[in-house]
Amino acid sequence: MPSATVNKPRPSELLSRLTSAEPEVKVRALREVKNQIIGNRTKKLSFLKLGAVPAVAGILADSIDDVTENNNCNNTNNFLVQSAAALGSFACGFDAGVQAVLDAGAFPNLLRLLANPNEKVVDAVARALRMIYQSKLAPKYDFLQQKNMEFLISLLNSEKETVSGLGASIITRSCETNLEQKALFDAGILRKLNSLLEGGSLSQRDASLESLATVFRNNPEVISKFAGPEIGRPLSSIIDLAKDRYPRTRLLACMCLIVIRNASPHFLQDIGIKTKLIHILLELLDDPGQVGDEAPFAFSSLIAQKEDLQKLALEANAIDKFHHHIKKGSLHPRRYEGILLALADMCSKLESCRSKFLSLQVLNLVADALTDYNAGVRAAACICLKSVTRSIKNLSAGYFMNETIVIPLVQLFLDPSTSVQVAALGATSNIVVDFTTRKSIFVQCGGMKQLVQLAKSMESSVRSNALWALKNFVFQADNRLKEGVFSELTASLLSSLIRDPEPSVQEQALALVRNLVDGCINLIEFVFAEDGLILGAIGRQLQCASKAEIGIQGMYALCNVASGNEFHREAVMQLLFTQMGDKNQSFVVKFLQSNDSQLRTATVWTIVNLTCPSSPGAPCRLEKLRNAGIVSQIKNMVNDPCVDVKLRVRTVLGQSMAFGDN
Amino acid sequence: MASSKKLISREEWEKRLNNVKIRKEDTNKLVMNFLVTEGYVEAAEKFRMESGTHPDIDLATITDRMAVKKAVQCGNVEDAIEKINDLNPEILDTNPQLFFQLQQQRLIELIRNGKVEEALEFAQEELAPRGEENQSFLEELERTISLLVFEDTSNCPVGELLDISQRLKTATEVNAAVLTSQSHEKDPKLPSLLKMLIWAQNQLDKKAAYPCINDLSNARLEDPTF
Repeated sequence: MPSATVNKPRPSELLSRLTSAEPEVKVRALREVKNQIIGNRTKKLSFLKLGAVPAVAGILADSIDDVTENNNCNNTNNFLVQSAAALGSFACGFDAGVQAVLDAGAFPNLLRLLANPNEKVVDAVARALRMIYQSKLAPKYDFLQQKNMEFLISLLNSEKETVSGLGASIITRSCETNLEQKALFDAGILRKLNSLLEGGSLSQRDASLESLATVFRNNPEVISKFAGPEIGRPLSSIIDLAKDRYPRTRLLACMCLIVIRNASPHFLQDIGIKTKLIHILLELLDDPGQVGDEAPFAFSSLIAQKEDLQKLALEANAIDKFHHHIKKGSLHPRRYEGILLALADMCSKLESCRSKFLSLQVLNLVADALTDYNAGVRAAACICLKSVTRSIKNLSAGYFMNETIVIPLVQLFLDPSTSVQVAALGATSNIVVDFTTRKSIFVQCGGMKQLVQLAKSMESSVRSNALWALKNFVFQADNRLKEGVFSELTASLLSSLIRDPEPSVQEQALALVRNLVDGCINLIEFVFAEDGLILGAIGRQLQCASKAEIGIQGMYALCNVASGNEFHREAVMQLLFTQMGDKNQSFVVKFLQSNDSQLRTATVWTIVNLTCPSSPGAPCRLEKLRNAGIVSQIKNMVNDPCVDVKLRVRTVLGQSMAFGDN
Repeated sequence: MASSKKLISREEWEKRLNNVKIRKEDTNKLVMNFLVTEGYVEAAEKFRMESGTHPDIDLATITDRMAVKKAVQCGNVEDAIEKINDLNPEILDTNPQLFFQLQQQRLIELIRNGKVEEALEFAQEELAPRGEENQSFLEELERTISLLVFEDTSNCPVGELLDISQRLKTATEVNAAVLTSQSHEKDPKLPSLLKMLIWAQNQLDKKAAYPCINDLSNARLEDPTF
């Protein structure tokens, strides 16, 4: 007779039975809790809230005492197995559960129980510990302590898969620094992992691949020692596993090989292995499960920043394949996010990839993803857009400045997730560099006003990215647009942003001013608004510029102001010579002596504009500059290594000679 | 049209077949692999005694696995779940698809027994959260719930869910999951070999006429026809 669910005790009832004096009742309740929570995240949460974890941890602890007192073995073992299994399940893929298990003090008890003589107990305990180590919340394992290393080795040497698997997962979770990686290598751990690769079971092979990748990460020294001649050709065993029959093994092997490639320029650089990796990863996309979800992330790690690989991937029809998968729809959010990021990486540098992307009409699908319910997907869609909109050809044609893209993108400015906001701003920054007359579309859908709002955000990354987008928006825009932006921003907001606590915000604010005042002379009045608020802010910021980029943008802003009329030039002069404290030197000389050639260039350009022969006040200004030692400083730069600087220096000196200087 | 196919007589074919040497141990291993994977414990034990072939899995674990499979086949899903969790709690904790399938089966059994109220309660408490946790289950969930709507379940569009074949499908999935967790391959090798035989014959068909095997169950050679 098929069973049915009858007379199920309520969770709170079950919990009270956990503290029962009768062992029969207690163990049955324990088993019931375990069976209810396995696979059931919702139940894990509700039992957690009722305080189940400390109760179960308590049973574990009591049972250990019973073991030491040699009480009733069978019963005790049963308690140990069930409580360990329950704790393991709480910790499985559930961070709140991991935290609760750790808070309940069960961790040291679980470790002790690894030495228990009963196999089932050890299995249950090892599994529970492995669940904990799969979480970021796991306690850090100190590999550098001798006895810890010995313990780890004993785990890896165990015959039991559950225990050796635990050893591997400890490495995968906790090994972080080059020092730790080297310590593991010196202790012979890699040799052990390699033997598990070749002779171990499926789960041991997979666990080894993950651990090896962790030890190799960013450590060319360990890699070359491992792959060196003494150990035979261990890299070949990993390469073989990339063609294994099990998809998960193939994926993990590829990930390991990619870690090796990225860390060390000597290994796996031939075109054969590159092509193989691309094909295996693209084929893994067809896997319907978790392996297929993770494959695009591995693909990204392979091709990111690497034009040669992007080209090979293009030839392997990667973009078509990704397109095919997105078109299918109803993707797991992780997979969707991965594919979008992979497309972003593909299109990050090569115009050929962007052309392929656009020709396949993938853009519409990406625009859809902007409104996805999952934040990771939305952010990934924006990052993908940012890559594709680097296509100057299409930007110039006004391809992206249309409502299908702009409206959902602007909506993301108000997204609850900061990372989505920042990603949306990044894509916007490219799109608004539109060389057609369609920038007004952006204003019409409220985008410009939103950007100004975001410039007031509490998050500095949001502020600086909003300013970046505004900076690009006003780049070579018409006067009307610029005036619109300025009146929305106001002088007081802009000047406070110039004086923002974050250097990245300061830099973008100054760059925004630079672009605003560039061009028409009327626009220069912006910096004089409200008693010269902005000009004053620029001056103060330049005196205490914390990095070259701030100086560069500030000087170019001043340079643009100085391209105006006499009044403007005099105002700039005054700024350059304002003393601060006991500094005798104007920041101008400091900038001229900077290591950064762009900063030197910007500063000399400003001097060029200030000493332009056609302006009546030029000789006077030149005199002041001479007296401040700036002209002689410039004379010393006649042979500056940077061509731009050299040319502008000559212009200044030429102009100064026009006034009878020698 | 003249055939460009080569003709191979039965005599010649059988001569060639006799020249192929296959080791007894290899065929024994194939048989043992089949018995063990499919779960025929007693047969495997007997075979071991008679042939001396070592099973690549502990026969004791087979008994446990078969108990699980049988429970599913009989519709005792709750019992099956408890047994799987005793074997290895990780299986259902890390396999949401399988867990959902088992709970779906539980719901089907409740509906089959006419326990409508309990079925609704179960669906709400146990299955709905699965749909919340994972959107890909929603469609299947809706299909299963719709069983409750039809008076004549044997004729409704989702009637196949009530079929015994659904239980068998789930039982096979469970068997495979347990085998994989024990680091054993979930499919026996023998069927794959037979598939390869059929494929090879299909390939050869394009080039030759020869005595082929059409009935796998008796492996009889049938004379070539033009």
